[in-house]
Amino acid sequence: MRVLLVEDDPHTAGFIAKGLREDGHAVDQAGNGKDGLFLATTEHYDALVLDRMLPGLDGLVVLQTLRGAGNRTPVLLLTALGEVDHRVEGLRAGADDYLVKPFAYAELSARLDSILRRGQAGGSEPTRLRVADLELDLLSREARRGDKRIELQPREFRLLEYLMRQAERVVTRTMLLEAVWDYHFDPQTNVIDVHISRLRQKIDQGHARPLLHTVRGAGYRLGA
Amino acid sequence: MRLSPRSTSARLALAVTASFLLAFVLLGIGVHYAVSAMLTQDARELVRVDAAGLVEVYRDEGRAALLGELRERIANDEDPDAVYALTATDGRVVAGDYRDLPTHRQGARWVEFTEHGGDGDLRVVAQLQRLPDGTTLLTGTRTRSQDRFLALMLRTALAALLVAATLGALIGWLTSRWVSRRLRHLDDTAVRVGSGELGLRARLDGSDDAFDRLARRFNGMLDRIEELLGGVRHATDHIAHDLRTPLTRLRNRLEELRRRHGAGEADTQLDAAIGETDQLLHSFGALLRLARIEAQPPVHDEPALDLSELVRDAVELYTPIAAERGIALSADLAGAGEARLRGDADQLFQMLVNLLDNAVKYAPVASEVALSLRREGQNLAVRIDDRGPGIPEADRERVFDRFQRMETHRGSPGTGLGLSLVRAIVQRHGGQVGLGDNAPGLRVTLVLPLDPGLR
Repeated sequence: MRVLLVEDDPHTAGFIAKGLREDGHAVDQAGNGKDGLFLATTEHYDALVLDRMLPGLDGLVVLQTLRGAGNRTPVLLLTALGEVDHRVEGLRAGADDYLVKPFAYAELSARLDSILRRGQAGGSEPTRLRVADLELDLLSREARRGDKRIELQPREFRLLEYLMRQAERVVTRTMLLEAVWDYHFDPQTNVIDVHISRLRQKIDQGHARPLLHTVRGAGYRLGA
Repeated sequence: MRLSPRSTSARLALAVTASFLLAFVLLGIGVHYAVSAMLTQDARELVRVDAAGLVEVYRDEGRAALLGELRERIANDEDPDAVYALTATDGRVVAGDYRDLPTHRQGARWVEFTEHGGDGDLRVVAQLQRLPDGTTLLTGTRTRSQDRFLALMLRTALAALLVAATLGALIGWLTSRWVSRRLRHLDDTAVRVGSGELGLRARLDGSDDAFDRLARRFNGMLDRIEELLGGVRHATDHIAHDLRTPLTRLRNRLEELRRRHGAGEADTQLDAAIGETDQLLHSFGALLRLARIEAQPPVHDEPALDLSELVRDAVELYTPIAAERGIALSADLAGAGEARLRGDADQLFQMLVNLLDNAVKYAPVASEVALSLRREGQNLAVRIDDRGPGIPEADRERVFDRFQRMETHRGSPGTGLGLSLVRAIVQRHGGQVGLGDNAPGLRVTLVLPLDPGLR
């Protein structure tokens, strides 16, 4: 995938670019808003990683200008202003996701994957999700692994649905909180881990091949 | 509007009206007195001339002529207000119809008396004169017209007084209303700005009067305050950006080291270092969030939300982690009714999470943490009871301060900002938070105002 990175801090830019290249993306870089806007409008990218506080042209203005011109490239907004009002402002301006500095690279990588996939997804919504021998029927709200039915609480169902939609991708704890619990807050302890381990018991217990994996320092991944 | 005598403008209006009326009354009394004295003087002059004429008749033509003249005048009734009488030395009335007239010894004397007649009481101004033959001549006049004039004057004055009083009161009331309206607007603005609506300004009417100038000064002051606060906020954002960036770099370097070197001694060390960095970033983030919440305006125009839903979600989020420690987490929403309030869902959820986290962290294994939400009058009350060590009364105020952690809890993880955040969120939502004794354990009580539409 081709990714444009607009970030003024050379160190942060270097470390993100390095990570993206290791993940197999082709990366173009811009150090300020004006260059970023120029590249974004003249080249084709699959996704933009855009810093909010930029010298010259503010990241939010770059984003609004792009969206105003009908450019629908998925955008991940980076910012040190980790507040809800800023988040809402960013999303309203047309960002697909919003990441607060400081972040671990794993978090950026997971979120970028998620928005890249959203950008590719076709129009038709599947009614059935499948990962290996795990199946989730979104209409009858039923989960099965092999021929065994799995009983799920409503929240566990949402958790599993999200993980399966992001199958084979790393999903961070914050992404889970935002997607499954729908609140932006700072979890005091790792409450999510306990929910995941309960879900893991339900889907992996008694199966030789575990499907729900913990990715150290990053989060979780559902897949073979 | 209520004209309470406690308000300065109403007091002023009352005082002005009262002193105006007092001056009017005093002036009226003075004028009345002067006019009535002048009228009496005129009556006496009339009587004096009349009496002198009669005495002259007596002197020139004798007593019989005087009697004739008197009788003729009484009979003719030319002047209905003229009063005549002649009394003999023994008090017998020779002419006229006045009994009990004082016999008069010498010269002339003025008397005034009241005549009880058919058309009410009339005042009579008269002169008594002793004639050389010992009889007393009374010449007088009824002051009917003068009295009528005085009465009319009094009535007119009273009517004028009434009009003046009404007008004065009305003008006073209008003035005081105008003054208090303009002052109240300033007052309201000050109150709302004080409670966090920094963008609000006093209205100007362009009249450039004292109030307008005051409002302009007031607005100037508010602009300055807003500018300073904006500067602080801007600086905070920049500090956040500038300080968190190097911290992030540090964390990334550590991550990279860990990626390169597989397992071993260094790995544990690196994990610990990353953990420390994360803790530092976490505290920093919490501190920034706290500063921001404290600077936010109160929740007037936030959307209405259902607090019971948030309570259910928070309890559901914490149930597994509580269960791991054998703690039974219960939520009692029976008395909640329609638990709607205006606020920020993310912040309120954070508040509940922080409190539940503390409760679950400090509660002994296999105990109970009970959360309840009920409606109490105009408010919603959330209570969280645990069976942990509790907080001694002396420390209950202190634990809400930044980085204040109980000595006994020093070892446990946490930023020391959890309760500060709770308090900031509760205050922004116009409520109160209190700590009490659950005997044993801690009882946290939150009181939050209901959505105004439900009150």
